[in-house]
Amino acid sequence: MHPTRSIPRIARTVSALGCVVVLFFGTRGWAQVGGVGPDEAALRADARKVFKERVEPFVKRYCTRCHGNRAKAGINFLAALKHPGGASSALQWKKAVANVKVHDMPPDGAPRIPSDEERRKFIEWVGKIKYLSPRDPGPFVIRRLTKVEYGNTLRDLYGVDPSIADRLPDEVFGEGYLNSISPLQSELFLGIADDVVNQVVAPEGKAPTAIQKRLFGEAPPKGADLRKAARRVARSLARDAYRRPASEAELEVLVDVYDLAKANKLNHTAALGLMLKAVLVSPQFLFITPAGKPKSSEPIVRLDDYQLASRLSYLLWSSPPDAELSALADRNELHKPEVLRAQAERLIKHPRARALFDGFGAQWLGLSELERQEFDPEMFPQATPALRRAMVEEARLLFESIVRENQSVVRFVDSDYTFVNGPLAKLYGLEQDVQGTEMRRVKLNDPNRGGILGMPATLAATSFPNRTSPVRRGVWVLEKVLGERVPPPPPDVPELAEQDSKQVEGLTLRQRTELHQSDPTCANCHKVLDPIGFGLENFDAIGRWRQKDDAGVAIDSAGKLPSGKGFSTPAELKRLLADRKADLARNLTERLMAYAIGRQLEGYDEIVVDRLMVKIAQDNYRVRTIITEIVTSYLFTHRRVKG
Amino acid sequence: MTHMNNQSRVDRRSWLKGAGVSLALPLLDSVGWAENRGQVAKPPVRLGFMYMPHGVIMDEFWPKSPEAFLKSPPPAIRSLGPVLDQCLMMKGISGVPISPFNGAPHALELSTWLTATLPDADTRSRVNIAISADQIMANYVGAHTSLPSLELATMPQTWKENQEGLHEAYYSHCSYRSPTQPVPAEIDPRNVLNRLFGKRGKSGRVTPVNPLDRQMLDKVLGGAKDLRRTLSRTDQRKLDEYLDSVRAVERRIAAIVYRQKEAALEKAGVRSAKRNASDSPPIEVKIPLGDKRSEYMQVMCDLTVLAFQTDTTRVSTYIGSTPNGVTYPELGFTDQHHSQTHHNNRKEMVRKVAAITEFNIAQFAYMVKKMHSLKEGDATLLDNCIMMWGSGLEDGNRHQRHNLPFIVAGKGGGSIRTGRFLPNTKGNQGDLLTTLLACAGVPLDRPIGIATKQLNEIKA
Repeated sequence: MHPTRSIPRIARTVSALGCVVVLFFGTRGWAQVGGVGPDEAALRADARKVFKERVEPFVKRYCTRCHGNRAKAGINFLAALKHPGGASSALQWKKAVANVKVHDMPPDGAPRIPSDEERRKFIEWVGKIKYLSPRDPGPFVIRRLTKVEYGNTLRDLYGVDPSIADRLPDEVFGEGYLNSISPLQSELFLGIADDVVNQVVAPEGKAPTAIQKRLFGEAPPKGADLRKAARRVARSLARDAYRRPASEAELEVLVDVYDLAKANKLNHTAALGLMLKAVLVSPQFLFITPAGKPKSSEPIVRLDDYQLASRLSYLLWSSPPDAELSALADRNELHKPEVLRAQAERLIKHPRARALFDGFGAQWLGLSELERQEFDPEMFPQATPALRRAMVEEARLLFESIVRENQSVVRFVDSDYTFVNGPLAKLYGLEQDVQGTEMRRVKLNDPNRGGILGMPATLAATSFPNRTSPVRRGVWVLEKVLGERVPPPPPDVPELAEQDSKQVEGLTLRQRTELHQSDPTCANCHKVLDPIGFGLENFDAIGRWRQKDDAGVAIDSAGKLPSGKGFSTPAELKRLLADRKADLARNLTERLMAYAIGRQLEGYDEIVVDRLMVKIAQDNYRVRTIITEIVTSYLFTHRRVKG
Repeated sequence: MTHMNNQSRVDRRSWLKGAGVSLALPLLDSVGWAENRGQVAKPPVRLGFMYMPHGVIMDEFWPKSPEAFLKSPPPAIRSLGPVLDQCLMMKGISGVPISPFNGAPHALELSTWLTATLPDADTRSRVNIAISADQIMANYVGAHTSLPSLELATMPQTWKENQEGLHEAYYSHCSYRSPTQPVPAEIDPRNVLNRLFGKRGKSGRVTPVNPLDRQMLDKVLGGAKDLRRTLSRTDQRKLDEYLDSVRAVERRIAAIVYRQKEAALEKAGVRSAKRNASDSPPIEVKIPLGDKRSEYMQVMCDLTVLAFQTDTTRVSTYIGSTPNGVTYPELGFTDQHHSQTHHNNRKEMVRKVAAITEFNIAQFAYMVKKMHSLKEGDATLLDNCIMMWGSGLEDGNRHQRHNLPFIVAGKGGGSIRTGRFLPNTKGNQGDLLTTLLACAGVPLDRPIGIATKQLNEIKA
């Protein structure tokens, strides 16, 4: 399973100043759903006023002495004060908020220290800066098909096995995916194009293949104008491969290639073959390109219907638009919100929508590498590739059932069913009920199980080869499930394994991990991370239930969330998290939006997401609604072409 | 955690004998096909890099003194024993200071390794760094060979870990064709072989390259330029990456077509090559059957040797291991390399890191020893190469970067004086890269990354 492209990170709080807590449970800082009215102008005017009268004086009073002309610890307010709503300023404000919030800045000994009330106010004021961002769908750049999309496209258009693309290097998942192209890739694109042509076009003297007939039509009769016939073929090849009608100039290029082949004594069919090869190495095929120059001179334009069809289809299917989508684009109807919504629903219900898990879900949950992850073969002999595949399959089936049945986002955390096969059932202790290799839906009676917190896939993916990692699991829950920002540990902090061996002798994993909390540079974060991770400590490194840890000591999974709410079992932790519907939904929405538009969210994006969240909440946070709201949103349907 | 179960397990029939790869022979001239027939030219200088993450155990790596370097080399480099006089070590090369990315030592140890440059902080979520030393060399000499450069890796470059908001590619790439274009590496030895010497059909024979492809690409490029005019500025920049990569393919086709003609001439008895009769025949490459890390790395090393020997490329970069959850089952270690390097001087962990380092250097030693055994003109292949092994950290325990570990093997065509350990070199990794490129004959219009000078003490 290869993710098609990556889920860009949501802009996150990064602290260059040490391990700073930005984990405020129950609040999402500046992402309040309420109070976002339709009157952007009024909000912008208010934000401008607040910035001038409040934020700027605060920054000048407390910050710019060090973070003025030069960047100290990566923070420089000079540009941010000039362009507070600019995309590059967003990171500065996030860092500022994070550090001011936990009293890390200004440092002890600074000439002026703000009061707690001032700090609180500052955070509130900075929260308004987003309204300074102009209405803008964000940076846009044509994108190359990913390896998976490319293979699927060849399958759909030319009936070849998508594994024909296996030779391409795997995509690197980052912000968006790595939308670049190297000589190696171009070389492979040419080689794969050769393979496609060789499979599609029958050798001279042999009967044409079915696909050849579909692509090239019947052989033209003797005496026919072959060049004219070639142009017709070029038009239809390009319509499919470029996912939009080709311009006359684009057709000219293809007919030129045909002429080139003929001049080199190739027969008509072979010349069409070379033309097909040219199509397959053209940027119009490899990239999703707009259908012509935008007609208006506006800096922001709507995606043309062809681009929109591709964007939608590659998002939900990792495949090119089908006949229905293409026809709607031809009729220029796809952009109508009700049409677009209906198409999104249609695509979601199709079996091809499994691509949404492979491309998005697996990365969201951090499962992309699980199949390749290594486990200590002596401790976990059962963690075979087949079992790890089954684990991922379980996550996929749960994801798909929630999407297809249009369930609430809460189901991801708390569900009373899952999917297992024989080997996987053993991890659940359900081997009496399920045998064989086929995955089956089962009802779960154990409240500790069900949902992504009690699932072998996620529990294993967050473990080391030979033990669990409560810290990793804590980070995973906060980031992946709740969308909180967890800053990286400060540099040069020893990992658990390297703690002074005398100091840790005789301590349990929990006690050793809690040593972090005795160190002030670590305490703020680990106070939050560790209890959550230990809440899941009853699950071992491959997700089996256990009462005792590796050393034979009884597991203590009790803990408290920073909100003060306590839990004593994974089931109780799950319930506490399931109550945070709005946070769960916003996290999923932001991540899916970032994946859909292929970049990290910033500035104006937050205002758009705020608005989506109102509608999504009204529909009780159903997942299909999240998807349809995203694909009909301003961000998905527009692009900036200038500036 | 990612090793090559799938990539290297191939059936027995795929064992490649020397004859199977002799097609690419025999061109060993400094200016490729453009040169006059019948003259034997001075062999070109080739430049290779091989990487290991997480630093070394300093006491086991650095020689005790310049004299001890050859007499009693430290344990980490013992595998280089027979060719130590062909090697050079210099202590005192510092890394790029990584602030403000202090939380991302491992993403930076690899991405700064050949760039000597920090990622751009404002656009950190995208790739924006600098062209790397290997690609600078490839730009200069790449047109002379059928492949401008060769990039290899042992693990897929897909590791995902967010550090300091940096793009994940920084974690797994050291070659950058431009500031925004990381170069992906090939991890499957069979693909490398195909890339080097052409694709094989069912009969096992190399499928000839179609010269028509070049003209076809030319027309496609023309069309792409039309498309470019309709695009926004940012889209145009993206399309330029495409144009650049297709032009590289065009050049490659031209080079291969030329070689095929040469080979045909040679077969017909026309003496076309400028190779010395005394040059060693091309080495044999066997693709391993199992998933032993050493065998896998050695076949990648063999492919590098063969590519250099046959002048199929003059630049190679091999990421022997990436800074991620890699384990060493072959050494009996199920712990991850990274977690062992945070050893805090615990004996058992120090021992494992030392063993992992020795293992990696042994693979490098395998490669340079082989190069040393091959004749080229009146010298050896290694004499005409500059092979650099190194890591991006001095010490993985504390992420230090003051004395980055490097070993240079080969005399670079007489430009480097080997058999020495220079204990008090004062310079940074940019200085080193700049110097090596100068030794390889690449004229530079500016220093690489943070470089301020050349390290003349390493030159002959």
